[in-house]
Amino acid sequence: MNNLILEVNDVAVSFGGVRAVNGATLDVEVGSVTSVIGPNGAGKTTLFNLISGAIRPDSGTILFEGLEIQNLFPHKIADRGIIRTFQGAKVIKRLSVLDNLMLGGQNNPGDSLVNFFNPKARKAYEVQCHDRAMELLQQIGLERFAHEYAGILSGGQRKLLDLARALMANPILLLLDEPFAGINPTLVEKLLEVLHALRTKHNLTFLLIEHNLETVMNISDRVIVMAEGRVIADGKPNSIYENQAVIDAYLGTRKAFK
Amino acid sequence: MAEFVQLLFNGLVAGSIFGIAALGISLVYSVLRLVNFAAGDFLTLGAFTTFFLATSIHLPFIVAVLLSMLLGVVISLILEFLLWRKLRRTGAGLLALFLVATGVAFVLRQTISLIFGGNSQKFDIDQIKTFEFLGAQIAQAQLAVLCCASVAITFIALFIKKSTIGKNMRAYADNPSLASVSGINVDRVIIATWTISGAFGALAGVFQGTVQGQFTNGMGLDLFLSILAAVILGTIGDAYGALIGGFVLGVVMELSTWDALLGGIPSTYKPVVAFAVLVIVLLFKPEGIFGVKARKV
Amino acid sequence: MTALMQPGFWVFILTMSGIYGIFTLGLQIQYGVGGILNFGHVGMMALSSYTMAILIISHGINFWIAAAIGVAVAALGGALLGLTTLRLRRDYFAIASIAFSEIVRYVIYNSDGLTGGVQGSLAIPVTGENYPSYTDTWDSIINRARDILTPIFGEIVDRDFVMAIIVWTTLGILLLIVSRVERTSWARVLRATREDDEVPAALGKNVFRFRFQAVIIGSVIGGIAGIFWGLQSSLLSPDDFLTLVTFYGWMILILAGATKVKGLPIAAIFFGFLYGGSRFFTFWPFSMLDASERAYVRIMIIGIVLIILMMSRPQGIFGKRQEMVLE
Ligand SMILES: Nc1ncnc2c1ncn2[C@@H]1O[C@H](COP(=O)(O)OP(=O)(O)O)[C@@H](O)[C@H]1O
Ligand SMILES: [Mg+2]
Repeated sequence: MNNLILEVNDVAVSFGGVRAVNGATLDVEVGSVTSVIGPNGAGKTTLFNLISGAIRPDSGTILFEGLEIQNLFPHKIADRGIIRTFQGAKVIKRLSVLDNLMLGGQNNPGDSLVNFFNPKARKAYEVQCHDRAMELLQQIGLERFAHEYAGILSGGQRKLLDLARALMANPILLLLDEPFAGINPTLVEKLLEVLHALRTKHNLTFLLIEHNLETVMNISDRVIVMAEGRVIADGKPNSIYENQAVIDAYLGTRKAFK
Repeated sequence: MAEFVQLLFNGLVAGSIFGIAALGISLVYSVLRLVNFAAGDFLTLGAFTTFFLATSIHLPFIVAVLLSMLLGVVISLILEFLLWRKLRRTGAGLLALFLVATGVAFVLRQTISLIFGGNSQKFDIDQIKTFEFLGAQIAQAQLAVLCCASVAITFIALFIKKSTIGKNMRAYADNPSLASVSGINVDRVIIATWTISGAFGALAGVFQGTVQGQFTNGMGLDLFLSILAAVILGTIGDAYGALIGGFVLGVVMELSTWDALLGGIPSTYKPVVAFAVLVIVLLFKPEGIFGVKARKV
Repeated sequence: MTALMQPGFWVFILTMSGIYGIFTLGLQIQYGVGGILNFGHVGMMALSSYTMAILIISHGINFWIAAAIGVAVAALGGALLGLTTLRLRRDYFAIASIAFSEIVRYVIYNSDGLTGGVQGSLAIPVTGENYPSYTDTWDSIINRARDILTPIFGEIVDRDFVMAIIVWTTLGILLLIVSRVERTSWARVLRATREDDEVPAALGKNVFRFRFQAVIIGSVIGGIAGIFWGLQSSLLSPDDFLTLVTFYGWMILILAGATKVKGLPIAAIFFGFLYGGSRFFTFWPFSMLDASERAYVRIMIIGIVLIILMMSRPQGIFGKRQEMVLE
């Protein structure tokens, strides 16, 4: 029980008539890589929105490190260490790429107005934050864009930036919404290495949504399959292939995703 | 009791005027995503041109009103072709639209002031004739306004609901891109929107001028914020909501001055009441009375 | 035309511009950084100037304390505005903020006992006495400054001249502070919230707090402008605080390019000239108009400039086109 970092119990939310998530129950083990798969509209992104507090569930509970979080504001949830990326990536277009990254810095004394009068603390943090940001930019290959507006980046580059910004925030649990879609395979390899290194170094936990089954099977300790707002299967990657419900709901239509 | 009836009646009259004006603003917003800050000054324009045509040139009052409505439409359309169309094409943001609309309001108001001066004017209408109803003194002019306004409201409501162009307006408001690809003539929808807003804005101005007795170049502006409150109260962009918002605010504002209610708020605070009501409603229902929870995209 | 030749006219324009510049700086941090559409900014100016005047005249409170309390009340006004309406949609907030300043004005207008209502209590002479004045302390400060400045600048130094120097020094200091604030990571977060709520929230930033603080800072600066306004006019009337004034501020802001403070002083002077200078439009065709008609023309011209500006150069004279395009 103690090694569960996240527990989602019977959570439901609907928009107007649409039951986007309809009694989903799942959990995530500390230090694991857990993948969520399922057809479009299954409620995967909505599940992430619920966990990160962007929307509140109509019913059910969400526990992070044993404490309920489903009624917290999103920034409080982020403070606890759950950091997410966005499907299709979100960047602040009129901030520079570097500023986008530095936005991820946590406990920045400069975020508090009182510290306007404490420039030493502010500047020390900024320098450190800047260096870390530049290092990440190098890893994702965007350092030459550091001082450009993020709005000029291509879709793939925005995804990289979104991911790097999440890493800036020193997450405990990282929620990644289709992080590799639209990124070229060699770079995916490289990103996987970066993420793997982080995992071993900081004992980071990953929950990710991914459509490419090959990648999913390779990197996941565990796979959760969603359809129509519910979890229909949950287990080790290879057990998923044999699950009849999954074949019916998802794998049978796999070609549609290629 | 007599006072209550009196205030309720006054409230309904005010509400019918608010309703018409609010409807125009709400329609323009739903189709063009534009908060028309100049709407108040179109009311003033209607009142002053009617005054000019009826009192100075001695046209029959009805003709004067119709010509004023026509002028409201013409100016609205000129602005559409001169300004709004271009701003839409360049994808102007909220602030640009706000400020251009404000600029238009400045120009319109000052032009009216320049032509008609700063003095107050009145229509050649007998304000004194009243009759008694349940103890309240009902002015005939007020009753006439209420009747005419009801006819106008019914007309607009039926137009939006039943006519082809009205249906197209609603379709376009719901989903502009879908409506344009499905063969709706967008230009016609927009012209119809401005026509309704210009004509009935002027008419509302005539009504308000009649009810007030005297009016100045600031009439529309004084009224504008209360009308805007009605628009938001009924959820901006919802035409029927605007009507209901208008009536609700008209009645609440009048009743707030009733002695039996909290001792009665001084009538000069009526606009404050309108906004207090608005803020209280928004605190509980941030999208207005008829709004649905916004979709997060 | 001759008025344009007189230094006094230019000093007057300069003082007006400086006060409007301070006023607009309050809008700049709210909109230029935070994307907050505050159309009720003039309410803060009304709150501070009336508070100061009432405290001095009716309660005999020391000028400096009264001015400080005036600014604090403006900040309180900002807090009230923020707490009630800042969570609303952007366009709703804009409209609600207009309502805020109009309510302030209505209350001033109708609280005769406190404010003197339409006339301004502060202007009604008690029978047989002079106008009660709240500027006595200020006047003696000005006089002392005059004694110091006259040897440097010579004859030109009068009350307005000293006022202009004080106002512009204040504007300079505030510009410096604000531009520093806008280089902190606080401003970076605020800048992010101008585009999107979800991203900063997902990174642990309390979006409401940043916006709320921006409104408070803006209100304090607006409050400071109000103090100068009160001191400059030495007689207050609710009609000084029409929503029109807020739009003057917006016009200066757009002219300057909203995202940076550096264009602000020049834009303020340009506006001051348009505003004050049009008083002296006595040549043809304006010569056909009387004084009150010229006042109408003045506002009309400002409306036309606002429209042309927004249609042709929405990023302002000093703004970057790219920032607008990426919006
Ligand atoms: N904010 C929202 N408002 C209305 N409907 C929504 C909203 N978010 C998601 N939905 C609906 O919920 C369902 C699940 O969507 P989503 O979680 O994005 O699916 P997935 O990420 O699995 O493809 C879809 O039918 C979608 O249209
Ligand atoms: Mg999704």
